[in-house]
Amino acid sequence: MRGYILRILVIALLICTVGIISIYSSTFQKEARLWHLAYRRQIFWVLLGILVFIGLSNLNYRRLWDMAYLLYIFGLCLLLLVFILGVVRLGAQRWLRLAWFNFQPSEAIKLIMIIFLARYFSRRSTQSISSNAFQGGVFRSLLIPFLFTALPVGLIVEQPDLGSGLMLIFIFIVILFLAPVRLKYLVIFFLMVLISLPLLWHFLRDYQKERLLVFLNPDIDPLGAGYTVIQSKIAIGSGGIFGKGWLSGTQGQLHFLPEAHTDFIFASFAEEWGLFGCSIVLLLYYLLIKQGISIALRTNEQFGRLLAFGITLMLATQVFINIAMTLGFAPVVGLPLPLMSYGGSSVLTTFMDLGILANIYKTRGVF
Amino acid sequence: MRIKIVKFCMGLFFVILFIGLLYMQLIKNVTFSELSRKNSIRLLSQYGARGRILDRKGNILADNRLTYDVLLVPQDKELTDNILMVLSKILGKNFAELKTVFQRGYVASSLPVVIAKNIDTQKAIALEELKFNLPGIIIRQHPLRSYPYGKLACHVLGYLDEIDHWRLTRLTDYGYKTKDIVGFGGIEERYDYYLRQQEGGSIFEVDSHGRTRRILGFKLPKNGKDITLTLDIDIQKIAEDVLNGRKGCIVVMQPYTGEILAMASSPNFDPNIFVRKLDTVKEILNASEAPLVNRAISSSYPAGSIFKLIVATAALEISKISLSTNFFCLGHMDIGKQRFACWDTHHQENLIQAITHSCNVFFYKTGLALGPQEIYNYALKFGLSRKTSVDLPYETEGFVPSVLWKRLYKMRNWFDGDTANLAIGQGELLVTPLQLTCMMAVFANGGVLPKPFIVKMIDRKEIRYPQNKNIHLGIRQKTIDSIRQGLLQVVKDPTGTAHLLSELPVSVAGKTGTAQVKNDQPHAWFVFFLPFKEPKFVGCVFLENGGSGQFSCMLAKQMIERMLQEGLL
Repeated sequence: MRGYILRILVIALLICTVGIISIYSSTFQKEARLWHLAYRRQIFWVLLGILVFIGLSNLNYRRLWDMAYLLYIFGLCLLLLVFILGVVRLGAQRWLRLAWFNFQPSEAIKLIMIIFLARYFSRRSTQSISSNAFQGGVFRSLLIPFLFTALPVGLIVEQPDLGSGLMLIFIFIVILFLAPVRLKYLVIFFLMVLISLPLLWHFLRDYQKERLLVFLNPDIDPLGAGYTVIQSKIAIGSGGIFGKGWLSGTQGQLHFLPEAHTDFIFASFAEEWGLFGCSIVLLLYYLLIKQGISIALRTNEQFGRLLAFGITLMLATQVFINIAMTLGFAPVVGLPLPLMSYGGSSVLTTFMDLGILANIYKTRGVF
Repeated sequence: MRIKIVKFCMGLFFVILFIGLLYMQLIKNVTFSELSRKNSIRLLSQYGARGRILDRKGNILADNRLTYDVLLVPQDKELTDNILMVLSKILGKNFAELKTVFQRGYVASSLPVVIAKNIDTQKAIALEELKFNLPGIIIRQHPLRSYPYGKLACHVLGYLDEIDHWRLTRLTDYGYKTKDIVGFGGIEERYDYYLRQQEGGSIFEVDSHGRTRRILGFKLPKNGKDITLTLDIDIQKIAEDVLNGRKGCIVVMQPYTGEILAMASSPNFDPNIFVRKLDTVKEILNASEAPLVNRAISSSYPAGSIFKLIVATAALEISKISLSTNFFCLGHMDIGKQRFACWDTHHQENLIQAITHSCNVFFYKTGLALGPQEIYNYALKFGLSRKTSVDLPYETEGFVPSVLWKRLYKMRNWFDGDTANLAIGQGELLVTPLQLTCMMAVFANGGVLPKPFIVKMIDRKEIRYPQNKNIHLGIRQKTIDSIRQGLLQVVKDPTGTAHLLSELPVSVAGKTGTAQVKNDQPHAWFVFFLPFKEPKFVGCVFLENGGSGQFSCMLAKQMIERMLQEGLL
């Protein structure tokens, strides 16, 4: 019984260690003294994350069922606060400046949305497990949950944080898919999205449009995202089979690669550890995701199952998008690589995700 | 079924990533290693011009001057030495010196190093011609800030400098980074967000000799937005000439709209020296007279007799006195055991006369009749003890003492003596010259406290300030008229404290003030508006430790005379 939980924790810590090593390597030559101690702060976040993990894995996840709507309101309030502060401060803002660190609510809202949607689509009773198709018309199964999702998405895209906004939409689709809502409605939803895409384009900020265009043609913004992608590709490609060795990556350290310790950490890791190291990291992520899916499959109860699936798929997608971004396969949307990228909000919420996953495993079958 | 699809997708994700890595790290490894080893990609940033600052007539107060930087693309050591040799001849600099500059400036092989900044045009042309023989040399245009009027309006404009740690921590979220040049003080700081340029540049591949092989991309730098001020450079110039280096400040404002037409503070500084990084910068930063401080908004002083206008308004509004109320001035008045002096013996005085002669005893008595709370209320009503929220940074709010404050912070009771002191604008009361200008505007425009502002247009687009920012104070017209009558008499009456302005062909109304300071010369105030009937200007002349209010009157007179000469009225 403890095996699963321990496995999750060990895998997560291994990934974190790889992350810290890479953060150290990619920041130790930066001239700004602000960054020299980034790896130490990351260690602190990971330690804090372990505590959060242990705490949440001992808190019955059914409590989240009770709190789901409260959490949703809380999350919305945080986003609104960021929005208002952003207006007051004349510009973009994703952070809430707490006493001693900057908190990024868009990280937390992803988890909150999963909890919220999982609750929405699971029934209160557990009588008929065999036919757990979600009953309900187009309103109950599509429009209402969509409105609830669209609200935070709107606020996040306004921040502006396109990546997290798209993540929320993705979570919505996954849960809709697994709930399971009738295929007919899913098709309707896709058609809706397809039709509204040109409309949404107008709502994007100029720089967001630019980013999507840069993805299609990196040459139009050589100094910004285009440059980052070129350098990131060079970093990964030049790593070869065994890499250049720790602290010997030239792309990551010598300012070639911007954001080498946050969103593009995988590139600086790949440069120093090569295909060999990358395969191990991919394997670790794969194992982590696998644990998540097994936990979801072993849970008979609808809420826990959706929650576990939601969390796992969200983590998997973040990993996928982030690494695909460094390889130049996906647009630069500003999503961190869970557990590896530098940043307290991301590390803490990821450990929260994993803690909840662990608890679902622990509590499963106990009603 | 659906779960199987999800599981399949997850598997697919990882397979895609793995194939991607295989492709990049095995198949394309040679190409990318080559690119990485040679580091043949170079990045050259280019600067846009900072937005200009103009006055209301379109004169350019802050401009950009085109200069040229010489950069060298890092390459072979030998080649670098050769080029530095040639450069040292052309630039007339020591070779060893250039070499240390190069070594110090080196960050990464992708970034060209700045060898010399701000070289003159001839040299730039000469280098440009030699470019074919000197691979790796780049001449880059670099617009630098210049202030064509020098010291004029320096406090309003502010200056530019490299970003400091404090500002950096606050501004990183807005895309500011280390070594950025940002505004310090004035419009340059407050509107930096609009004024700042956006860096552009190009990314290109070089061959082993540092020659450009092909340009991979180019992004145009963006210029900042121009800002047009409400300032009138002619009035500003007169104000600064009149101040002539004396410690103090002059504010001239439009009484109805709150547009600031001139804001001069002295001593001043030349913002150009910060651009050129002259040694005098240190002197300015450490000078005891604080030349960087905008005295019109950033420091507060006792208001002296000017404050009597607020006391008079309060007393008329809540009918503690009327126009026919007379008090007798013996030249002093005893409150408790203390004797409070008047500056003269005025005998029988009514309100108009008391304002005309600035009689202290009259206002001691009025103040005592009002009580401290009412005075406090009216002082706040007139915008004291609160920022005017003019669009300039580092405004101070001043201070108005109250009974409660004294109890809480001084642990002492409020005495009648405190009331008497407050009634003539002494004691703990502190105001900024801009606050008093706004207060006077109320009497000039007939009861509206304006919100002063100094930026008229951003990027040629008129800014719309919310109209309700100008507060209608709801003072009775009769009260305003009476005070205005008093203010006119101050100048018109032969015994008035500002009689010397009566020689002017335009009718001025105003109030003098001499604010006592411990162990030093008093501050000299004169706050006025003109013409009396349909005021076009409201102004404040303030001299820090300048002596009696008479001196400020003299400066105001000089200023108005010159404005008349130049046809600005």
